[in-house]
Amino acid sequence: MSAMQRQSIVGKDVSFERIRRITGYLVGTMDKWNNAKKAEERDRVKHGLSKNA
Amino acid sequence: MIRSVIKRDGRIVLYDQSKIAEAILKSLQATKEGDAADAERIAHAVEHYLIDQGCEDAPPRIEQIQDAVEYELMQRGFDRTAKAYILYRANRTRIREANTSLMRTIDEITNVDARNSDMKRDNANIDGNTAMGSMLQIGTAGAKAYNEAYLLTPEQAKAHREGDIHIHDFDFYSLTTTCTQIDILRLFQGGFSTGHGFLREPQSIQSYAALAAIAIQSNQNDQHGGQSIPNFDYGMAPGVAKSFAKAYTRKLTESLEDLLDRENELDSVKRLVNEASAKTGTTARLEKDEEEFDGAICQLLCENYPITAEQAAHLIERARKRATRQTERDTYQAMEGFVHNLNTMHSRAGAQTPFSSINYGTDTSPEGRMVIRNVLLATDAGLGHGETCIFPIHIFKVKEGVNYNECDPNYDLFKLSMKVSAKRLFPNYVFLDSPFNLQYYKAGHPETEVATMGCRTRVMGNTFDPTREISFGRGNLSFTSINLPRLAILSKGDEKVFYQKLDEMMELVAGQLLDRFEIQAEKHVYNYPFLMGQGVWLDSEKLGINDTVREVLKHGTLSIGFIGLAETLTALYGHHHGESEQMQQKGLEMIRYMRDYCDRKSQETHMNFSLLATPAEGLSGRFIRMDQKRFGSIPGVTDREYYTNSFHIPVWYPISAFDKIQLEAPYHALTNAGHISYVELDGDTANNVEAFESVVRCMHDAGIGYGSINHPVDRDPVCGYVGVIGDVCPRCGRRDGEAISEEKLRELRRLYPGVPTFCGCE
Repeated sequence: MSAMQRQSIVGKDVSFERIRRITGYLVGTMDKWNNAKKAEERDRVKHGLSKNA
Repeated sequence: MIRSVIKRDGRIVLYDQSKIAEAILKSLQATKEGDAADAERIAHAVEHYLIDQGCEDAPPRIEQIQDAVEYELMQRGFDRTAKAYILYRANRTRIREANTSLMRTIDEITNVDARNSDMKRDNANIDGNTAMGSMLQIGTAGAKAYNEAYLLTPEQAKAHREGDIHIHDFDFYSLTTTCTQIDILRLFQGGFSTGHGFLREPQSIQSYAALAAIAIQSNQNDQHGGQSIPNFDYGMAPGVAKSFAKAYTRKLTESLEDLLDRENELDSVKRLVNEASAKTGTTARLEKDEEEFDGAICQLLCENYPITAEQAAHLIERARKRATRQTERDTYQAMEGFVHNLNTMHSRAGAQTPFSSINYGTDTSPEGRMVIRNVLLATDAGLGHGETCIFPIHIFKVKEGVNYNECDPNYDLFKLSMKVSAKRLFPNYVFLDSPFNLQYYKAGHPETEVATMGCRTRVMGNTFDPTREISFGRGNLSFTSINLPRLAILSKGDEKVFYQKLDEMMELVAGQLLDRFEIQAEKHVYNYPFLMGQGVWLDSEKLGINDTVREVLKHGTLSIGFIGLAETLTALYGHHHGESEQMQQKGLEMIRYMRDYCDRKSQETHMNFSLLATPAEGLSGRFIRMDQKRFGSIPGVTDREYYTNSFHIPVWYPISAFDKIQLEAPYHALTNAGHISYVELDGDTANNVEAFESVVRCMHDAGIGYGSINHPVDRDPVCGYVGVIGDVCPRCGRRDGEAISEEKLRELRRLYPGVPTFCGCE
């Protein structure tokens, strides 16, 4: 039984999963990313769909 | 008289003059300047020298003795021997230091939590906190230390160590090659062996899918890179056909038995089906030759059973319909199992999930279409709790006339792929109509369709054997990347100096790639029981188990990579290619220059040198840390924690999706070893598939080779919500790490079907 399953209230200390793509591969959570990758992900800006964003 | 010596680790041992003589003799013999008597005399002089230094009272250290040997050798005119002795000492010191640093590294792997150790998170696919993950990292550290000390030239070692270049997968330097596109269609014919047992040719779509996963897992143990199947749709289609044929016979039997109220007609129906096959030269196929085959069956049924032609036709129609439904279900389950398998199976000492990729989209047969549809649907559904699948990477091959336009046979699947990707981040798209891909394309020959090794590696052209310009059975042998921004910084704005430095660096890398090839080429078929032993690699089926792989390996590529074009342009000219058309021209000039070098090198060596837009977010951190230390923080160049990926417009630079695509597309044409362009979209694209599609179409029209669209995909494991989550989960209202009550969860479960169940709260 996982820690989550033993709680009478559910989800304490359970983090959201944030799936991101890095070096072409998806990664389930960013916990295992190295610092440069984390920084790169943090700095990404969104690309608008209009011609002059 | 000297009685004792202090060793490097501080221990005191007995002084032994013969050991000194022995070391001197080795150097004398190497230079042929003297013999044992000379060695004896010099050792004696060393002792006197040390006594003069006061070593009778305070024991000398090893370093002191060695200094004395050097001094005496030079005093006595053994110049070349003195030099050899000094070099020998320096080399021993290097190895000793490597050993010490290796022990420190192993200490960190053993004792530090991966969350606090950047080194342990270098490869995000290995969990550095587990036993097998740590064992793999210790092996990696040991191999790297050995490879640097023994396999590189001092020049290569220095360039790699100091970050002028990065030799990728350096731990595997002496062991294997990077990757292969596994042609599963061919592999499955007649069955294959994993190296741990023989598997018969599969007979249903479920077995096809299971064996595809096993093939990926087996090859993962023979090579250090990712695993890819270039023809997933074509490869799985025969499995669907077999499943359908079986279902057709079974359903027909059941209907017949019901009608006649009989049992045990299966063998008899099988006989009729075989007879019909012999007569028509075809089999029970999904949506194919229906009239002909079903007509023959109809006739046979009437001849062999007391039923009318009308009854028989009705039976057959119903059997066909049910068999189709059954096959569709089976295919979905097979694809679901395949995806689950690839996300949970472990390889490489149990520490890694295989890096797997599958390419598909162009098989227009009903069976191939069924495979594509269901692998997409299984990915859309996600894993057991609706989690997004991390593996495999899906690559949808886009081709006009096949799936791009509304009138194309697989247009519906192209549309479906975008709906799935807008939700699940996969598939990515490879564009076969881009001129540098189209030049190889021959309709009806799937091996001429460009497929990618998920992260971006691409292999098509073949200088070694121009008659085999295909993707199947080939891959990259090794690649090494150049730190372009550093060359630019060192050139201090002088373009000419930069190109000189670039020339030197490419020459160094090409030489290193060839040196590495020499090591790889001397391996034998038995070193790769699956890759070569099962004929996965092109032409390896022609080799015996004890043959070396040199000649067949030449189908692979040696790739020169680069990162940080944006920072390079900024360092040289003041701004990057996203900022002005002039810089775009400078950037293209530079990358074309590198490509021309690779082409020349290919002609010269008859090997496949190619230019790679390196996937380098991890490496970019390594390079820039060293450059910050050396040059300080240079605005727009070294002032972040990473160098920009290959030729990308920097991730932080505001630009529209369409402009980014237009600017990056021309670089795809130049980087023949692989490339990828990303677009970052905001919000939940699952609710805006039109926007997603407009980006994919823009990539196609602009001549992008391989592209993918990033958008946030978050999931709350507690309530199962998938989409964009800010600070608060839109479904259950909790914040990160907060708990919700059981009642709340029960209430949510009534409202949403996808809420996970945990036995503890039921």
